[in-house]
Amino acid sequence: MRTNLSILATLLLVTGLAQAAPRLGEPAPAFTLTGADGKAYSLADYKGKYVVLEWTNHDCPFVKKHYKSGNMQSQQKELTGKGAVWLSVISSAPGKQGHVDAAGANALTQSRGAAPTAVLLDPSGDVGHQYEAKTTPHMYVVAPDGKLIYMGGIDSVPSSDADDIAKATPYVKVALAEAMGGKPVTNASTKPYGCSVKYQ
Amino acid sequence: MTKPTLLAAALLWAAAAPAAPVTAPHIEAELVAEHTGWLAGAPNWVALRLKPEAGWHTYWRNPGDSGLPTTLSWTLPAGWKAGDIAWPYPSQHKLGELVNYGYDAQTLHLVPLEVPAGIDGDFTVKALAKWLVCADICIPGQAELSLTLPVSEIATADPLWSPRFLDTRARLPQAEPLAGTFAVVDGEVRLQLDAVELAGAAAVEFYAYADNLVNHGARQRVALDGTVARIAQEQSAHFGAMPQTVEGVLVVQAGEKYAYAVAATPGEVATVAAAAEVRATPPASGSAQPSLWLALGFALLGGLILNLMPCVFPVLSIKAVSVLESRRGDASAERLHALAYTAGAVLSCAAVALAIILLREGGQQLGWGFQLQAPAFVAFLAYLMLALGLSLSGLVQFGTSLMGVGQGLVEQGGFSRSFFTGVLAVVVASPCTAPFMGTALGYALTQPLHVALFVFATLGLGLALPFLLLGFFPALGAWLPRPGRWMETFKQLMAFPLYLTVVWLLWVLGRQTSVDAVAIVASGLVLLAFALWLWGATQPPWPRAALALLAAVGALALLAHPAIRISAARAPAGVTGTAGTAESEPYSDARLKELRAQGRMVFVNFTADWCITCKVNEKVVFQNAEVRRVLAEKNVAWLTGDWTTPDPAITAVLERFGRSGVPLYLLYPPTGEPEILPQVLTPGLMIEAVAWVSSLERK
Repeated sequence: MRTNLSILATLLLVTGLAQAAPRLGEPAPAFTLTGADGKAYSLADYKGKYVVLEWTNHDCPFVKKHYKSGNMQSQQKELTGKGAVWLSVISSAPGKQGHVDAAGANALTQSRGAAPTAVLLDPSGDVGHQYEAKTTPHMYVVAPDGKLIYMGGIDSVPSSDADDIAKATPYVKVALAEAMGGKPVTNASTKPYGCSVKYQ
Repeated sequence: MTKPTLLAAALLWAAAAPAAPVTAPHIEAELVAEHTGWLAGAPNWVALRLKPEAGWHTYWRNPGDSGLPTTLSWTLPAGWKAGDIAWPYPSQHKLGELVNYGYDAQTLHLVPLEVPAGIDGDFTVKALAKWLVCADICIPGQAELSLTLPVSEIATADPLWSPRFLDTRARLPQAEPLAGTFAVVDGEVRLQLDAVELAGAAAVEFYAYADNLVNHGARQRVALDGTVARIAQEQSAHFGAMPQTVEGVLVVQAGEKYAYAVAATPGEVATVAAAAEVRATPPASGSAQPSLWLALGFALLGGLILNLMPCVFPVLSIKAVSVLESRRGDASAERLHALAYTAGAVLSCAAVALAIILLREGGQQLGWGFQLQAPAFVAFLAYLMLALGLSLSGLVQFGTSLMGVGQGLVEQGGFSRSFFTGVLAVVVASPCTAPFMGTALGYALTQPLHVALFVFATLGLGLALPFLLLGFFPALGAWLPRPGRWMETFKQLMAFPLYLTVVWLLWVLGRQTSVDAVAIVASGLVLLAFALWLWGATQPPWPRAALALLAAVGALALLAHPAIRISAARAPAGVTGTAGTAESEPYSDARLKELRAQGRMVFVNFTADWCITCKVNEKVVFQNAEVRRVLAEKNVAWLTGDWTTPDPAITAVLERFGRSGVPLYLLYPPTGEPEILPQVLTPGLMIEAVAWVSSLERK
């Protein structure tokens, strides 16, 4: 018995490990947040589906670039159409740029014709910090097994100029297409660009 | 006015006012030239002048964590050519956890223009400048800028701008790059440069050109020794393929600041001691690390003192019982028991070291006690404590063999029991650090594997030393009471501290996870007790043994329940959880900086719920009325860094101070380096420290 216990102790030492920063190929940090529709959303609810996380702030010029051009909305429609779940997360603290309440978030979704599965409110910034989201937009893709397969920018050309969208590699779309096709993601970690997330 | 005169007037105006600054939100932009005319057939210098409003900044070629570099696209007369922007070295702009590289004052972005020979007249150059100007929010801007100058035979410096060109050139990196080597190891980028330019440097900063090389927000650790500089910084989360060269700018502070281009090729670079950067002035000898011998001495002493730390209290029962039991044997058996105990302690310390080091290789941010950050391990420890408690209570007898294999164990007089008592001492001691130990382990983690294992093993030796001595010099134990029937009662009594330990572990688990997880683990404890009861004091018949094993496996299987995971919503320790520390705030680098900017003294408490030493200090010292009065009187701000669950930011701070575990107490004077307080505090010591640090400030 003693021997077995100590073997187990050693095993636990090695495997029963604490999770740190979000890492590719590791389980994405679990969270539960309230959506703009008042419902609770947990990452765990979407086991078996691809989940796209989008950190956003509607007043940030880089976010505007992708919404005014319709790029973000079309990616939302295209990817949710393929069965992926798209969660837009707002981590702006109250009083900071981009902070909205549930009604404000719904109005934005409507006025911009956005099509995420849900808009999640993270005014405390807890989930943003958990994911180490640095910029808006900052994108993450979680595979059906709950593991993180992409983190980084929305595309490859860091600028606030909508004309650059056509020239850029849309990293999130490419990552999902590759993963859904059973291939490894080529550019799995890229440098995000945009405004800083307006945490407390 | 006739048409020709109008034209002449317009031309004159154009010549007199070649370009007016364009005003955009929060910034002024203009194209300026170093000379008053174009020099045909020669390089000419022009510049984009950007002047952000106070509190706003634009970006360097590598903008850092967010932001965008300024760009220029030229429209030039035929045959003219524009070079790239020559970027003066940037300054750092911190925004929360983000660090950006840029310019918060008027900056000239110098560009060389090649002007062909054999031309005459006025020529206009145009540039579309795009920038991002940010304070806490960002505004992208752009402007079509133009500059018209006549071709002139002799260079006449523009009285207004020429001096600014000179100032800017002093901030450009010297063209000839300093050669060096770099390595990307252990999740950090290390750079080593050896150049005469570095002699006499008081400080250096490295700015990489690539934006996916280093984590810009992580602190750069620097060691300077003569002409050699070593720099280490955490690698970027977006670090891609290993680069062929690492290029960037080295800013050297030697009286004034000088900038040098750097081009480093792959090679071997030793890491930089975490303690090195803590010193504001670099040590003359280059290394602030303790020597191996000193570290070994510290480890031995630390292990020895670890026996007296409150965190080892839970294992005290087992130790007391085992010491008394060991007295029953003859001298040689006692020596063997002592050696077995020592071997258990030394080997398990080495095993913990191996696990930490291997996992760190894998990029995990870990330190001593890390396993208690995993709720499943905490639950497992609760199981272990209950099992041991029940064994002391006499419900179950572990001394008998399991499945008949261990017959030899009994005959050997239970040396394996002594060995596992040693292992247990380490497992239970792992939530805490003792004086001297932090320094030794912090040192070990920066060393090659065999050195690290050696230091950790020495710690185990220190921990086992009292028992080793007792085994070899039985005279030392003469004061111990004679074994007798009372020992059975004593043993049973000693079970209760273990049951209390189970309660404590469940509390830790509850803080890490949820009531659900505690309920599941409590059920597991009941299942385990059931298994042990089935097993009983003697070898049970096989059906009963099988059922017992089944129940034990069931109890262990419960540990895999998803509820036993760290929940996102847990309250940080000492903020809402601990009574009487309501005024403390959660630690962040940004908050610390902010408080220090307000000129306040700051006390930082790095703690964890599973660290009993920390909890004892919190109860005895931080909740002491006199201590609180003194803290309030001196207006000392109080930050709590909670390491109960993994937090790479806190691990980074611990490493910066050469530590690998909690507690760590830092007392920052309003300016200057912090004072590191001892790990075992008393109210008197704390008050003295506050008084001393605040007196430092007045000098």
